[in-house]
Amino acid sequence: VSHDLVKMAASVLCRRTASLWGVFRSISSQNTLTPEFTRCGSFLQVAAYNPKPLKLNLKDPYIPDRDSEKTPEWQKSEKYDRKLFARYGSASGVDAAKLWPSPEKLKEIIAEEQEWNPSLQEMLNNIASREKERARILQAREKLIAANMAKMPQMVADWRRDVRTLKQKQREDKARRDRLLAEARERFGYALDPRSPKFQEMVKEIEKEEKKKKKLLKRRRKEEDARATEVSGTSEPA
Amino acid sequence: SKMSVPRKPGGKALDLLRNLPRISLANLRPNPGAKKLEKRRGRGAHGGSKSGRGHKGERQRGNRPRLGFEGGQTPFYLLIPKYGYNEGHSRRPQYQPLSLNRLQYLIDLGRVDPREPIDLTQLVNARGVTVQPLKKDYGIQLVEEGADIFSAKVNIEVQMASELAIAAIEKNGGIITTSFYDPRSLTVLCRPVPFFMTGQPIPKRMLPGEDLVPYYTDATNRGYLADPAQIQQARLELARKYGYVLPDITKDELYQMLTMRKDPRQIFFGLAPGWVVNMAEKKILKPTDERLLSYYSS
Repeated sequence: VSHDLVKMAASVLCRRTASLWGVFRSISSQNTLTPEFTRCGSFLQVAAYNPKPLKLNLKDPYIPDRDSEKTPEWQKSEKYDRKLFARYGSASGVDAAKLWPSPEKLKEIIAEEQEWNPSLQEMLNNIASREKERARILQAREKLIAANMAKMPQMVADWRRDVRTLKQKQREDKARRDRLLAEARERFGYALDPRSPKFQEMVKEIEKEEKKKKKLLKRRRKEEDARATEVSGTSEPA
Repeated sequence: SKMSVPRKPGGKALDLLRNLPRISLANLRPNPGAKKLEKRRGRGAHGGSKSGRGHKGERQRGNRPRLGFEGGQTPFYLLIPKYGYNEGHSRRPQYQPLSLNRLQYLIDLGRVDPREPIDLTQLVNARGVTVQPLKKDYGIQLVEEGADIFSAKVNIEVQMASELAIAAIEKNGGIITTSFYDPRSLTVLCRPVPFFMTGQPIPKRMLPGEDLVPYYTDATNRGYLADPAQIQQARLELARKYGYVLPDITKDELYQMLTMRKDPRQIFFGLAPGWVVNMAEKKILKPTDERLLSYYSS
């Protein structure tokens, strides 16, 4: 019985490989059978596609009368004619040439296709040109970045120098202010508000004195220079 | 007393086997406890109540609106159009996934025949995938789940495929092509018989849009618009990358089937655009008009 069962199962499982049954029959052991099957067939059981039966009423076809007024309009259309032909074939009485678009319709279809569906070559050209444009923009940008980066060390150095001079100037200003304040305290005996008119006057005075001193210094230097030239002028002819 | 007879091991079971009827659909039933009764809402003590669904509205009636809809007020994804990831979300093409696992399963069950080229018609007929062209489906994508167990030699045509999936197919000596179908052609391809019953000539397959042309002209994607020589090169490169030897299929008995390819304008294997298939008479009608021929062949 078990042998029968195995045989039955095998025949169900391996309908396609039924011709090979004789080969396996000689191998009596059941254990060797299973691996043999899995090895032999990558497709043991091929269940075919079972299509739904087409319900074609070929014996008693309904073909509407085109000339009758009772026939609804939609049954007189070309679309319906095509359907009739599909359902009943040549028995439908539809001219098979009507299945394809008429020359006028075909012209329309071709015109529409040309307007809306570019050819592959056209699309490839478009893509290539767009890619080219993109690459050009990218390259220009990279070039600009490279040029600006080349300028970078000089710009950084300039900026560092500016910062340094600014700080130097601030430091000098602060020192001068402190000096003036100290002098004001010395002169008046108490700390002055730097915004007070008294202090401002004092600053102006000091500035004037400094100017005078500068002028004097200049004049003296000029005189010295003149003297020196005189000395050299007198010494030359000698 | 009677002398005890040594009992045969499994004698009772064998007797049963001999006497009971053969197993058939009529006497098969699920194991006890394998089936659980569905809970029936709205019965018993709380019959007239809300059945645990709360009071009124979309919650109770289970007709919740779509994701992102805010009851009619301008939703966030339109209010703040800054975030690009919602751009054209309702118009994006969808590709239903088909894993290698499932493909192997379909082949093992005999629902898909690997001795024929596999395209969407085969897969839809085998109820392997569900493609709804009216819901922005543009076909299927082959995903790599089950790449390690896949062992069938197939000639398959899908719409998108990952690199590992391509490698898994080619490692077994199979052929894979990615190809584009416009929604109209896809409808025809997935449901051929309803289309044939309209009596129209098979349409010409349209080319992909400009955004998809680079994908289908790329040999690494095995695109149907790519140069065959480059595809062969790409196959060798992929084999080198994943470390397998590309099987030589030229001496294969299925060589003819494996090398079958569709024309970029063709929808069905063996049927040219412009032909009319008549199911009633089991006939194929071909146009003879020069203009029609030139249109359908272009």
